[in-house]
Amino acid sequence: MPSSTAAARGTRPGPEAMASLTRHWAEAPSLRTWFGTVDHKRIGRRYLVTAAVFFGFAGASAVAMRTQLAGPEAGILSPREYNQLFTMHGTAMIFLFSTPMLFGFGNFLVPLMIGARDMAFPRLNAFGYWVFLFAGLFMWASVPAGAAPNGGWFAYVPLTDERNTPGLHLDVYTLGLLFLGISTTSGAVNFIVTALKLRAPGMSLNRVPVFVWAIVATSFMVLVALPVLNLDNALLFLDRRFDTRFFEPERGGNVLLWQHLFWIFGHPDVYIIVMPALGIVSAVLPVFCRRGIVGYPLIVFSIVAIAIISFGVWVHHMFATGLPQLSYGFFSAASTVITIPSGLQIFAWLATMLVGRIVVSVPFLFVVGFLVTFVVGGVTGVMFALTAFDQQTTDTYFVVAHFHYVLFGGAVFPILAGVYYWLPKMTGRMFSVRLGRWAFWLVFVGMNLTFFPMHVSGLLGMPRRVYTYPGGLGWDPWNLLATIGAYVVAAGLLLVAVGVVHALRRGAPAPDDPWGGDSLEWTTSSPPKPYNFPVIPRVHSLHPNWDPRTVESTGPGATEDRILAEGRTTLCTSELDGRYERPVEMPEETRKPLLAAVGLLMVFLGLLLAWYWVAAAGAALVIGTLAAWLWPPRRTPQEAGVAG
Amino acid sequence: MSERVSSRAALVGGLLLWFAVLGGALSWAVHSLAAWSIDELACEAGHDDLAGVPLVGAIALAVLLPAAGATAALVVSVLAWRRLRPEPREDGDRATGRAHLLAVVGLWLNLLALAMIVFGGVAALVLPPCQR
Repeated sequence: MPSSTAAARGTRPGPEAMASLTRHWAEAPSLRTWFGTVDHKRIGRRYLVTAAVFFGFAGASAVAMRTQLAGPEAGILSPREYNQLFTMHGTAMIFLFSTPMLFGFGNFLVPLMIGARDMAFPRLNAFGYWVFLFAGLFMWASVPAGAAPNGGWFAYVPLTDERNTPGLHLDVYTLGLLFLGISTTSGAVNFIVTALKLRAPGMSLNRVPVFVWAIVATSFMVLVALPVLNLDNALLFLDRRFDTRFFEPERGGNVLLWQHLFWIFGHPDVYIIVMPALGIVSAVLPVFCRRGIVGYPLIVFSIVAIAIISFGVWVHHMFATGLPQLSYGFFSAASTVITIPSGLQIFAWLATMLVGRIVVSVPFLFVVGFLVTFVVGGVTGVMFALTAFDQQTTDTYFVVAHFHYVLFGGAVFPILAGVYYWLPKMTGRMFSVRLGRWAFWLVFVGMNLTFFPMHVSGLLGMPRRVYTYPGGLGWDPWNLLATIGAYVVAAGLLLVAVGVVHALRRGAPAPDDPWGGDSLEWTTSSPPKPYNFPVIPRVHSLHPNWDPRTVESTGPGATEDRILAEGRTTLCTSELDGRYERPVEMPEETRKPLLAAVGLLMVFLGLLLAWYWVAAAGAALVIGTLAAWLWPPRRTPQEAGVAG
Repeated sequence: MSERVSSRAALVGGLLLWFAVLGGALSWAVHSLAAWSIDELACEAGHDDLAGVPLVGAIALAVLLPAAGATAALVVSVLAWRRLRPEPREDGDRATGRAHLLAVVGLWLNLLALAMIVFGGVAALVLPPCQR
């Protein structure tokens, strides 16, 4: 394996400059800085760990459900418990695991990949994490309280209105998702501004890593899609709590309005989950094929196309609702065409493998696992684009099989590839290859054993979301196989966790670039210093770490305007061409983001429990904290640039 | 004077490039929203015309006009793609490489947009507007 160190490349400016950089960027290890950190790397790692914990909860829910379904007429879970578990499983996997996990990768990697020293809004970044943590706890705390959401992850009305589902269950769902939406939105804004304004000089749009393209496209999708879900949840909360009538047909509302609004968000959300994961694949695969990715412009096109077209396919989730068939035609057309850019990426990866020299490492194995399972999910996805087939299989286990192939294949495998690929960079430790290979085979075999039989039970008519089923319908062996598979997957994922802990405790020290990667994060130390880059590079290529001119740009001849040692600063460049504009000052650690997030938690808890005075106090805390946060700092006239 | 002309040319060129990139997608968005909402809302209300125009004709307009827009964007993107060849050593003019990438993205995006509009038009040809 090729490896290098930053020192070997002569990337360090003088000792005074290094000391100054450390003084301005390092955070002293204390409880105060633990709560107040704004370092994108620490925040990124926290996203990853927190999302992994929520993944563990959601996975445990799945194992409990599969145990219940192992045989007919089982009584391990009551219908009430089962409803809450499958709802929390789906909701958490979608909202509390997939997106935050990928945002965690984005947080850690985007500034490193584009040659920046932090995210554009570090305090907003910290705020986003705390809100995510509190929103996740807010939702998961409802499980032991017996008040967890229980109407499925898409919470269709009228099932979920107050009349049919009394209690706090759906209030937890609507308020929890509204709470979480604040985090996701702030993260998306931060990614967009970071990627557009903080790229290293010379990194024009045609030199931006695919992963960054994917994160930016995803962030734009979040900004367009999430307000629709927020509106939907706000309307349902108002219907339930204050007896408004948005979704009640007998009082002038429209019951299909929920579905339209939900899926205008929901289908793009599939891509919001999958696209950054595809970006991980595009980052990992070429490195283990020892060449640049084939068809970079077409992959960028594919990302942009998916980000746009995914907003015009939502009605294919509603093919069984009785809308005019011509309407279905418009959405069926878009649903069919969107497979072209997705397929294009698959062929680009296959071509990269074909013309490259493959190194079969653990991250590469997970990428191959992704390719196989995602293609299976894609094939059944095309089947659902056809109205006649969709109407026959809607709400059966065939759908469950399909979306698990898409989401487990399209998100979990790339996430695991990313974990193994960037673990040395994040922790400074190498992992055990043997454990990694075992984990891969267990996850791959277990995943297919779990979800492939669901295609069959679905085609045999087994409806989804049933807590039990009678024997003798031909479903029994398929369910037993799926349950065995679930335990195998659980064992594999446990082995991944063991591997990470083992690497942290006993792993060999990682070199700066253990894989011979092409992007800028591999030019930093492992783990990166608080300031990321002693010298901000000047980028001359799509593969800066394979390009001698870019590597040389951080060498001894680096100019002062890219070292920026006098202060906590990074570089601002132009949006399209990455032209040098000016240094920008970055904020230091503060606990205000945490305080604002606590205020929001009070607001949502107060609304949930109808303790409106608590909500009002929380709102006051949020407003006060934001005022202090945004209050202009005291500066001398010279610092403010208004001295005579 | 020449600077003013060149900045104006740059502005027009930039706008044309963005039309080449996003024109097809915008046309498809207009088609999708207009055709779907005309069909769905008129049928829901029990009408077979829209302000005196037969429903089929209104939907045809919602197909043909966006198709024309997407075709125009496709033509512009092909021209941009042909004229914006990046140099082998891209550092000479960074904007060329970037603009070429955008032209490629636009070209394929416009093709897909046109395909979706045409498929929607085919559906309008074979299915009566309000059949459920």
